[in-house]
Amino acid sequence: MEINVEKIKESISNLRNKNSRIYFMVQDTKGNAKASVKFIYETALTLKKNGFNPIILHEKNDYTGVEKWLGSEYMTELPHKSVENQNLEITPEDFIVLPEIFGFVMDQIKNLPCGKIVLAQSYRYITETLQPGQNWSQFGFLKCITTTEKQKDYIEKVMKNTTFDIIEPTISEYFEPRKLPALPIVAVHTKDQSETINLIKTFYLKFPQYRWFTFKDMRGLSEKEFSDTLKECFLSVWVDDDSAFGTFPLESMACGIPVIGNIPNMQPDWMTDDNGIWVTDKTLLPDYVADFIQNWLEDNIKPEIIESGIKTGESFKNKEQFETSVLKHFSGYLTQRADAFEMQLNQIQK
Amino acid sequence: MENTISVILPIKSSLTRDFNEYFDKAITSIKNQLVKPDELVIVHTNEEQLTKLLNEYDFGELNVVKYVWTQEPNYGEQVNYGIKNSKGTWFSIFEFDDEYSAIWFKNVKKYMGYYPEVQAFLPVVVDVDDKNTFAGFTNEATFAANFTMEMGYLTNDTLHNYQNFQTAGAVFNKQVIEDFGGFKPSIKLTFVYEFFLRLTYNSVSIMTIPKIGYKHTNMREGSIFWNYKFSEEKIKDDEVKFWLETAKKEYFFVDDRVIKYTPQTA
Repeated sequence: MEINVEKIKESISNLRNKNSRIYFMVQDTKGNAKASVKFIYETALTLKKNGFNPIILHEKNDYTGVEKWLGSEYMTELPHKSVENQNLEITPEDFIVLPEIFGFVMDQIKNLPCGKIVLAQSYRYITETLQPGQNWSQFGFLKCITTTEKQKDYIEKVMKNTTFDIIEPTISEYFEPRKLPALPIVAVHTKDQSETINLIKTFYLKFPQYRWFTFKDMRGLSEKEFSDTLKECFLSVWVDDDSAFGTFPLESMACGIPVIGNIPNMQPDWMTDDNGIWVTDKTLLPDYVADFIQNWLEDNIKPEIIESGIKTGESFKNKEQFETSVLKHFSGYLTQRADAFEMQLNQIQK
Repeated sequence: MENTISVILPIKSSLTRDFNEYFDKAITSIKNQLVKPDELVIVHTNEEQLTKLLNEYDFGELNVVKYVWTQEPNYGEQVNYGIKNSKGTWFSIFEFDDEYSAIWFKNVKKYMGYYPEVQAFLPVVVDVDDKNTFAGFTNEATFAANFTMEMGYLTNDTLHNYQNFQTAGAVFNKQVIEDFGGFKPSIKLTFVYEFFLRLTYNSVSIMTIPKIGYKHTNMREGSIFWNYKFSEEKIKDDEVKFWLETAKKEYFFVDDRVIKYTPQTA
């Protein structure tokens, strides 16, 4: 009993002093930029800079890391640990933050005594690796962080007994309107690369007079390269049926680049009639691009679409708001857990 | 120094089909500019009907200066003369059967501000046939992928692989002509090509503005290039090759030399 009390007291102390380990599980993107992984790293770095104890957890020892596309700061400032061949030290005051795509891991770690949080950035994958009938709460995941109100409304109807918090992602300060005029380059970002290739090939076949326009697939670039390339473009094309947030169109809009995109199955909250050209029929995208090109060549693009886009993009550049939100929620998780341990301690000591 | 633009318009004759209609559209396109050029310099022959038309035509508020060309009509020489007598720090070469798009000089002034090192701005030209049907773009190739060293800029290397660039509608810094010369009247057919080769060889920075700036009527009956292709002045393949080779040899030199094609020299 004495040992138990001491352990609980130590746990409470670690929680109150922010020494509890907060493990963030990440997938290895093999050097490719991915907004969902960036979100995890930014959350972890915010915690680290504010005295918390976050640790990045990856599956394999040969983890590629994010240095190439996100920056070395994220690799050097944040401790990394591999699940492979390593006995992780996990105590009751620790937390594991697990992205929704790692649903299959939930069963494996359900008996760990730590706090468990699901990070659901895409509603599309919340059931992907769960067996029929399984939900998060039965594995001890009673808390979920998600990124939009609309997504929260959807997920909470599916995953019962789990409570939800929203941390809205931000876009980098790099994304700002370019000072020089744009070049005839179209930035393309699609969920599947085959969609990019199909769009480009179809476009050139249908509109050979515009073959001097260049399409740039925006994959595999560092954040800086990405923003520098994006700023040269006069148009962005975005195709992602499953997106719930839409980082790419927001980054484009912040750069003053109009976006032609399909309306995802879950329409993002920021999407309005006047901040982009949003279409329902993806097969018409090459035609929309051609129309836009002709209007751009003739200086016929309404400034309102650019101004409205910049305003929308700017509203997601509030890093301070993001950090405040991260700190508020994680402080709350630690405090709630510390309070629970206090209650447990009081009961033992009665 | 403030950037001012003179438009140089050489005219040989008004006795060509639909001249009045073409001419009126051309001048209207200058009147419709969102930012107007500072001067219109017309270098015309003393053909009676043409002179009468120019004297009676209502140019509105345009600042028009007319010079009578009394020598043998020659496009290149008339352009050079117009440039020499123009007052602008920049000039644009215009043709009576073409039209500027209303946004052209506005964009030129804008790009002059963004790219002060650039000495010539080319428009994306819409080529049409004499029925005004779209035939293609010109000058756009500076943006084609893997075609130029730097997107949008015309280089000497590019010109050695591809010749389809045109001066009509383009805006040049007048200093360029003072330093490296104007058109070479003795070069037939490829005088525009030679001119671009010479400028790029001398590191003149030439950029295409990716906006439609000019509409060019291709192969209008009676035009220089129509004559080269269809009239009694028709040029055969051997001669085309000769003038291409000549352009590639002559661009190293600023001065024009008397060059004549004879089948033996080909």
